[in-house]
Amino acid sequence: MNALARHRRLTAIWSSEPGWKGWLSTVNHSDVGRMFIVTASFHFLVGGILAMLIRAQLATPNSAFAGPEIYSQLFTMHGTIMMFLFAIPMIEGLAIYLLPKMLGTRDLAYPRLTAYGYWCYFFGGAMLLISLVFGIAPDGGWFMYPPLTGRIHSPGINTDFWLIGITFVEISAICAAVEFTVSILKYRAPGMTLGKMPVFAWYMLVVSLMILTGFPPLILGSILLELERAFALPFFQVELGGDSLLWQHLFWLFGHPEVYIIFLPAAGMVSTILPVMASTTLLGYRWVVAAAVALAILSFGLWVHHMFTTGIPHMGLAFFSAASTLVAVPTAVQVFAWIGTMWKGTPQLRLPMLHILGFFITFVIGGLTGVMVAVVPFDWQVHDTAFVTAHLHYVLFGGFVFPVLAGIYYWLPLVTGNRRFFRLGKVAFALIFAGFHVTFLAMHWVGLMGQRRRISTYAPEDGWTAINLISSVGGFVLAFGLAVVLIEVVLSFVVRHRAPRNPWGSGMLEWAIPRPSAAYNFASLPRVNSRDPLWDDQNLPVRIARGEGYLGDPASGRRETLMIDSATAEPEQLVIYPANTRLPIVLAAVTGLFFLSLLLKIYLITPLAIAGVVALGWRWVWRLGSKQDLGDQPIGHGVAVPTIAEVSRPPGWWGSVFLLVANATLFGSLLFGYAFLWTIAPGWPPPAFIAPSLPTMLAAAVGAALAVAGVAIAVRTNRNGGTPVSGLLAAVAGALGLVAVFAMMLWSAPPAAGHAYNATVMVLGSYGLVHAALASLMLIFLLARHRAGYMSQRRRGELAIVKVWTMYLAGVTGLVVPAVYLPGLVT
Amino acid sequence: MKDLLRILVSPVVWLASFSAIYALHGLICQLDPGASEPFGVSLSRITLIAAFVLAVLVQAGLLALLYSLRFGAAPGFARSVSRMSGWVGLVATLWTLFPTLAVSSCGW
Repeated sequence: MNALARHRRLTAIWSSEPGWKGWLSTVNHSDVGRMFIVTASFHFLVGGILAMLIRAQLATPNSAFAGPEIYSQLFTMHGTIMMFLFAIPMIEGLAIYLLPKMLGTRDLAYPRLTAYGYWCYFFGGAMLLISLVFGIAPDGGWFMYPPLTGRIHSPGINTDFWLIGITFVEISAICAAVEFTVSILKYRAPGMTLGKMPVFAWYMLVVSLMILTGFPPLILGSILLELERAFALPFFQVELGGDSLLWQHLFWLFGHPEVYIIFLPAAGMVSTILPVMASTTLLGYRWVVAAAVALAILSFGLWVHHMFTTGIPHMGLAFFSAASTLVAVPTAVQVFAWIGTMWKGTPQLRLPMLHILGFFITFVIGGLTGVMVAVVPFDWQVHDTAFVTAHLHYVLFGGFVFPVLAGIYYWLPLVTGNRRFFRLGKVAFALIFAGFHVTFLAMHWVGLMGQRRRISTYAPEDGWTAINLISSVGGFVLAFGLAVVLIEVVLSFVVRHRAPRNPWGSGMLEWAIPRPSAAYNFASLPRVNSRDPLWDDQNLPVRIARGEGYLGDPASGRRETLMIDSATAEPEQLVIYPANTRLPIVLAAVTGLFFLSLLLKIYLITPLAIAGVVALGWRWVWRLGSKQDLGDQPIGHGVAVPTIAEVSRPPGWWGSVFLLVANATLFGSLLFGYAFLWTIAPGWPPPAFIAPSLPTMLAAAVGAALAVAGVAIAVRTNRNGGTPVSGLLAAVAGALGLVAVFAMMLWSAPPAAGHAYNATVMVLGSYGLVHAALASLMLIFLLARHRAGYMSQRRRGELAIVKVWTMYLAGVTGLVVPAVYLPGLVT
Repeated sequence: MKDLLRILVSPVVWLASFSAIYALHGLICQLDPGASEPFGVSLSRITLIAAFVLAVLVQAGLLALLYSLRFGAAPGFARSVSRMSGWVGLVATLWTLFPTLAVSSCGW
């Protein structure tokens, strides 16, 4: 088969459906990545218009442009859209599009999950935008502090849109994080060991782990606040044993890492693009990776620095002040590595480089003002002033938007296949850079003069008029600059001016494929021997196209790629992907129905939506696997590997492990909240503890042991060629027993609205109940799969996946039952 | 995966010890152990310093393991990055928990 025939064959296998239907059923990472980027750009446009409205309001004193109610919606939605609907999804989109191409594989680990994540983002974002159109948008600020956002002070539906809409959108981030983690660890080109990975992949690995552990506290906080608003469960009401500071802890446990979740991928782009612009390699690759890891984990120890004015004892302040100053060190390591890279190479002032220089200047200023606000007495002075708003924008615009613009210009030829024609980019950069600094330097200044953030207007005698006017003019110049970028990007798609295959002379794999990229990425999977394989072998693109790598023979007609051993990077499993399907959009729509029923308080629909999600989820998984043993499959170069159905640790096992990391973080945050209320909130201990029930505790222990032992027996008998049915039946009995235990716990609990303790018991019991029901369902699913002939001694992967979830259930039981019953037992 | 664990372990243990000592500090301030001063130093201060010393010793132990032939990574990328992150864990522990020695514990 020649290269052209191979291309046609692979295109037929991997392409999405033609026409508009293709957008609804595609699961291809290039398609979904582009959809993410376009949708995020639209949200950026909306958020930018809101910013213009804010600046129009503040341009003059006593402005009647927008009243306080509308103004509150404007700044809340500006922050919400930029953080949740633009920055994170833009990162997801870029990474979904780029990572498989950089890693030398054909798609991400779970293509249908990629599409499901996109549609959750699309529907959740639409929910929030609709609220804006109808004038009922969230208005409590992007961090939604109670008691302002409690139902007493915010009785309307506005806050509910935020809590429910954002939780819906967060599903997308969690999906993407699981996807990226597994893909980066297991879906690389053969030979690409951890030390040979593109630096962007390292950054995305770190960021994905951060999302898995950073987002759950916010999801939990949103659930608790919505429960308080909808059902009067008093988690944040002081008079009933709650504490509004609990929200601040949960929010900033997410909120501070969020800043680095946004910054680190952008830093990854800088670390990727800068060496190419300087015609050299990145200086101190290992130091940069270590700095990214350090920055990511240190960022989780800073959350209280957003709460310096809440009355925290000196030592607590000192802990977080010290940690806040420490993050400057790994940041500086990266900045010096970039400077050293430029020193080592021969930098050329091409358009991506201009934006990188803009990033340097802006981000370093933002970092320095960050060190200023890490110093407690200074923070006390500027807290809640425009100075903090300006600092935030220097960090996020400087640390994210400039690198993203550099990335857009850098990778545009890969997406469009064209080079830029009209050369508007330098004008755009000049407008953006000047406009940004005029806007936000002025904002620092007016903040130091005492202007509070989020005020809808001010008086002429305050002395802020001229500075605000200058800031507003700068804001509009910035907007013009961004509009020019948008025009140029659109023109690049429209005006055909063919770009060469590797226009920047990069050494990385994404430039070894056709442009615009083919649906299958690589006609055959290359073996990689360094971080810059294209520099090692100039002929690599031709050899890939000729099918000289792995999986070069598309005769099977299946969508195939390879999983590797994460340490040695040798081929380990043959992945067979599912084809195009509308299941992701349908599942996301039904998931949206669940959230909508909660938002509109039509609770009759809620169980129907849950049943729909379960039915579709069942169908989702049922379509995988095979009814016959395929044996080891040849992948080229004389190597044969088993398919993913015939290994102990299939992709689903890896995905489950990382999903459970996020799940465990949510559960840990709930236990933290329980301990926090117990020790800090007034009104504790509660009037009465739940009565301890020894039979229930005993039943919980027996149920958990039976579930775990049953699955273990099933795995062992299946491995030895026996039938796993008896083990699975025992496990089902154990899991259903736990369903009964948690149902009893909820039944015997005191009224949840009476005290924060009661409410916490209700949430703990519900968490256990959901996991017991889920494990029961999974075990019943396995029995059905066995009956249908999907399991054999070789096809054992599904058993391994359910074993992980059952063990997690046992762990949850072992923590929930004592947490609920021990206080009553002890007292 | 072991190499990834070697790279992550020290900073993650720092995060755990930092959060635990912050929680311990909150608990101590809430329980108000009173004016018991066994060696001229308050009991709460001694508890916090002991926790700080323990955290430093754990980090030093981890660093030693990362440098050992038995538990450390094979020569190359993972070895150097894991040792760097080992130093990050130790320095972060010393720097961020140093206030246990120097700052009033429950004062406002």
